[in-house]
Amino acid sequence: MSMWSQETQNRAKEIISRYPEKRSAVMPLLYLAMAEEGHLTDEGMEEVADWVDLTPAQVRSVASFYTMYKRERTGQYLVSCCTSISCMLLGGDDVLHAIEDESGVPHGETDAEGLLSVEHVECIGACGGAVAVQVNYELIEGVTPEKARELVRWLKKARPESVNTDEMQELFGGVKSFDWGIKEEDAAVGPYPAFQPLGTIKSAGDS
Amino acid sequence: MGLLSELWRGLKVTGSTMLKTIGGSGLVTTEYPKEMRHKPQRFHGRHVLNRYPDGMEKCIGCQLCAGACPADCIYVRGKENDPESPVSPGERYGYVYEINMLRCIFCGLCVEACPTEAITMTHLFEMSTTNRQDAIYTRKELLMDESGKVPHMFPDDELADLDELNTADGWLRATAPSGVAAYEGVQMWQGTPGAASWDPEPSQEERDRASEGDDG
Amino acid sequence: MSEPVTIKVDGKEFEVRPGELLIKAAEDHGTYIPRFCWHNRMKPVGMCRMCLVEVDTGRGPMMVTACTNEVVDGMTVDTQNEAVQKAQEAVLEFLLANHPLDCPVCDKGGECPLQDQAMAYGPGESRFVEIKRTFEKPIPISELVLLDRERCILCARCTRFSEEISGDPLIEFQDRGNKTEVNTFPDHPFSSYFSGNTVQICPVGALTAKPYRFRARPWDLHMVESSSFFDTAHPRLSIHVSQNEILRLVGIDSEPVNHSWLSDKDRFGFEHVRSENRLDTPLVRRGGELEPVSWSEALDMVGNRLGLIVEESGGDSIAVIGGASGTNEDAYALSRFARTVLQTNNVDATMGEGPSAHFLAASIDRGLIADVDDADTVLVWGPDLKETHPTLYLRVRRAAQELGVNLVVIHPRVTGLDDRATATLRYRPGGGHELLSDLSDGSHEQVTSLISGKVVAIVGQASLADDPGLAESVAAFVREKAGTPRIIPLANRANIYGALDMGLAPDLLPGRVAYGPEAAPEPWGEIPAKRGLDTPGMLDALSEEKIRAVLLVGADPVGNSHEPELASDALDLAEYVVSIDTFLNDSNHYADVILPAAGFSEKDGTITNLEGRVQKVNKIIPAPGQGRPDWSILDDLSTVMGKSMGLGSPETIAKEVAAVAPAYQGISWDLLEWDARDGAVVPLDGEQPLTHIPVRAKGTKAPSAELLLHQGRVMYDDGVRLRNCHYLSRLAPGPVAHIHPDEAKRLGAREGVAVRVVTSKGEGEFAARIDEGTPEGVVFVPLHQPGAARLGTDPVVRVTVVT
Repeated sequence: MSMWSQETQNRAKEIISRYPEKRSAVMPLLYLAMAEEGHLTDEGMEEVADWVDLTPAQVRSVASFYTMYKRERTGQYLVSCCTSISCMLLGGDDVLHAIEDESGVPHGETDAEGLLSVEHVECIGACGGAVAVQVNYELIEGVTPEKARELVRWLKKARPESVNTDEMQELFGGVKSFDWGIKEEDAAVGPYPAFQPLGTIKSAGDS
Repeated sequence: MGLLSELWRGLKVTGSTMLKTIGGSGLVTTEYPKEMRHKPQRFHGRHVLNRYPDGMEKCIGCQLCAGACPADCIYVRGKENDPESPVSPGERYGYVYEINMLRCIFCGLCVEACPTEAITMTHLFEMSTTNRQDAIYTRKELLMDESGKVPHMFPDDELADLDELNTADGWLRATAPSGVAAYEGVQMWQGTPGAASWDPEPSQEERDRASEGDDG
Repeated sequence: MSEPVTIKVDGKEFEVRPGELLIKAAEDHGTYIPRFCWHNRMKPVGMCRMCLVEVDTGRGPMMVTACTNEVVDGMTVDTQNEAVQKAQEAVLEFLLANHPLDCPVCDKGGECPLQDQAMAYGPGESRFVEIKRTFEKPIPISELVLLDRERCILCARCTRFSEEISGDPLIEFQDRGNKTEVNTFPDHPFSSYFSGNTVQICPVGALTAKPYRFRARPWDLHMVESSSFFDTAHPRLSIHVSQNEILRLVGIDSEPVNHSWLSDKDRFGFEHVRSENRLDTPLVRRGGELEPVSWSEALDMVGNRLGLIVEESGGDSIAVIGGASGTNEDAYALSRFARTVLQTNNVDATMGEGPSAHFLAASIDRGLIADVDDADTVLVWGPDLKETHPTLYLRVRRAAQELGVNLVVIHPRVTGLDDRATATLRYRPGGGHELLSDLSDGSHEQVTSLISGKVVAIVGQASLADDPGLAESVAAFVREKAGTPRIIPLANRANIYGALDMGLAPDLLPGRVAYGPEAAPEPWGEIPAKRGLDTPGMLDALSEEKIRAVLLVGADPVGNSHEPELASDALDLAEYVVSIDTFLNDSNHYADVILPAAGFSEKDGTITNLEGRVQKVNKIIPAPGQGRPDWSILDDLSTVMGKSMGLGSPETIAKEVAAVAPAYQGISWDLLEWDARDGAVVPLDGEQPLTHIPVRAKGTKAPSAELLLHQGRVMYDDGVRLRNCHYLSRLAPGPVAHIHPDEAKRLGAREGVAVRVVTSKGEGEFAARIDEGTPEGVVFVPLHQPGAARLGTDPVVRVTVVT
């Protein structure tokens, strides 16, 4: 008797079938539980525990170890600002302050409306393009405090259904670490990374 | 003859001392219960259980005093504090505390062992009782009241010297625990039992600073 | 076995087994390497870094953790040079960075590995002046265990224990980085049957036991070794006492038995010893009321009355029930008293439960607990070991999980071992014989194919609906399949195996000898020739008024009966009932005289566990009031009755047992106290005086109702000792009925609703538990629950929802 929707249950079955041992599926299933309810609830973790034959305590242990599993409600846009060494040297803290100031949301929190969440994160692997900021895990490099303010204003005003890294880079980004020369098609929906099995992806082809 | 002169020499001492005491100036004894001899400051007398200035008991019932006691005369039992109305700060308090004064050798090891300075000694040494039961001091007799007054076993006795009970044994630390000479002579104990009013012990940082200064 | 390798630790050279962990090899040869996370009975993790040593294997010295590195030939180890000392100091400084200094109020203070090792290896002072992290002070994570997260040093001993050893990982690390803590899932308490072990292995005071909280400090405890009376495997433990009061029990690492683990029932079940309900004076019923009398009055009264009855109607008119709750010495005294003084063979310690006495006492190829470690296959067809034999459960679990032993579990519903089983089979309650004949006819090939090679068969009565003789038939079947399997027959009741070895069964004499007047031990003289009755037989004879007097020794036929009215009516008809017991039990309503007995930790003696291992148990506190050991009561009674047994002391009884009981030859207290601290398996020479070859009984047909009742024991029930334990008595599940979700849907029952369970012998209301582990068509009701109706043994059942 699952509390999940049929679609999520089908996805869960499909994910579990990929692994020789059920418990290996705990991490993708946690994402599913998160997508199902918006964030990871105790009930969601118990549900995952049932699916993968672990105890809820073990599931919570995994869920609380990784910062990308949100155990509190997250806004539609999750703005993550890197404050690790490279970004910090190039003003990551100023960017974070600008984001906090413009959005009125201190880092680690979500606004009352449920639109914006702000967090500071450790290195997200874009040191060459410091300061790096992510919106729903879509990367923008070379962000300045001014650009960050613009970004927040844009999110608040335009409220795009999905966010795409190339689009935002063009609007708010600066120096890029590396140009792949390939256009990123996928855009992220909701406060999750663009990830096919979760249904949180919106490709350019979709309308 | 030698014998007579030796006898004379001996009796001379006896005689002169006798004459002195008749005069009253050379007395070596005192009229004890009426007259008290001065006791040194570190005299180890009867124990007392102290309180903090806010009235909380200092004893946490840890039984370290009982463990340190070489005469095995202390019996302590701890109990959990009711968070609503705690007896002592923290989780635990001493809900049974007994000292068998017939066994106690007044060595003061309990005072040294106590991690909260809950048990200290006073100058009172008169503890004679007419039965063995009375020689077992319980919390009722040992614990000071909230105003800092220490109960006497027989407070109505005309010979009871209540002042002695209110004089702490003046146990001083000659140096800081780590033996830093800079703190030699600094008093970390007060002269009377009760709420603490002496200087707090220096923090480790301060001590380090002091010892560095010492080295240089 | 591969060649031993030579290693050099601190300049000392010695040979060790290859593949052994360095920390263990060094310790075995006298070099202690400090540690927090490593535990002898668990896998290493290398979390605490305390065991850093400098190791040179030819590539120059390296700092490695001794607990995760195996010894190799030519290894040179330095455990205390300057670099190692510096590392140890640093590790301790970090461990103490967040550890509160509340040692004076901590239950671990004084016996704390962190305290001890900080003293021995620590830097003395810390450079960390910052404020330590704080958590809410102890939070209860179960009914028995408190967790103080401030004190935790994250060694993972408790979490590893619950995952690796007991198999119920209800506590885990939560969060990460400097916020990491051990905790349970919200509203999922750490309700493990083995939670007390985490308290024992916690190297700091993070996990403490509620029953011991603030009760004493280690320096005012004195202790003695003993064995638990709850579990028939008799795990070794140490009794810690202060001011004549047991404060806690700690498991002892006994290789052949319990590897230092105890179930919570074994660990916290001592609370009954100081219960205010203990009997402390002889009681005599006068005008319907029990009145205290002196020992001499009570003994005279009992002796004269029993003597009169023997004289008038002969020994056959006396029934002796019980005797499994005391030591072997008590049981021997009772056996001798019944046979020689009362002149009766109506003695039964099994109380009519479980397999036959011959099978339990003298089965051929009796297995040892340790046999499961090197078996090819372990077959468990009996009660849920997790509930009834927790020590054996942990051993079997380890064998299946760590040692690659095939495990076959056959039980009417899910058991604690199912998740580690190679194969499981379920059968309908009462259908055991049918399944057995199916198995011998070749069905369930994947299961029967496993029963070959070295097989250990752990057999017992799985369900009350099963024929008690099924266990013996299973053993016979395994013998057909696997030649010479090791057989461990299971029974409940504290010292049942010892009692049977002392002859407390109608057809047994001390030392595993078949009963016969010619086989009487020398000092006994003449014993009655007539075959005695077992407990159901005695109760029947009571109803027919063929038996006039009953002697109950630690026995409660009414409380244990599945049809209590039958037992109570029978006792009601008895002319004279004498009870020797530690508590007033349900049967004592019918007793004319009740004599207070000494119990666990109140008497010296020996006990025998399910593998035939004799262990010494020791006295450390006096019995309450005027309570006395059984043997001494019986000895005095025999004197009153003019046939003095002259037993003297438990040690002289033990000597007499060694002299007259063939299986116990060579067993002496000296041996058990010095050379065989873990106990000795009788017979010492391995030659059984009586070998019982299991026989296949003719099967009863399985009942064919739509819904069948499966009743089985669970760990916490309404036994008189558990009832008087402050903490454990709350853990009994109470009157519950487990139903499969689909079954529940059919019945219209939801979790927790009251259902009426009706059998031919009884009926009562139970709370429904929706449980996927119980198959469809089966209702599982735990036996002997407080407030639960007795349902009899007939498995045909009707269940309706109470509206």
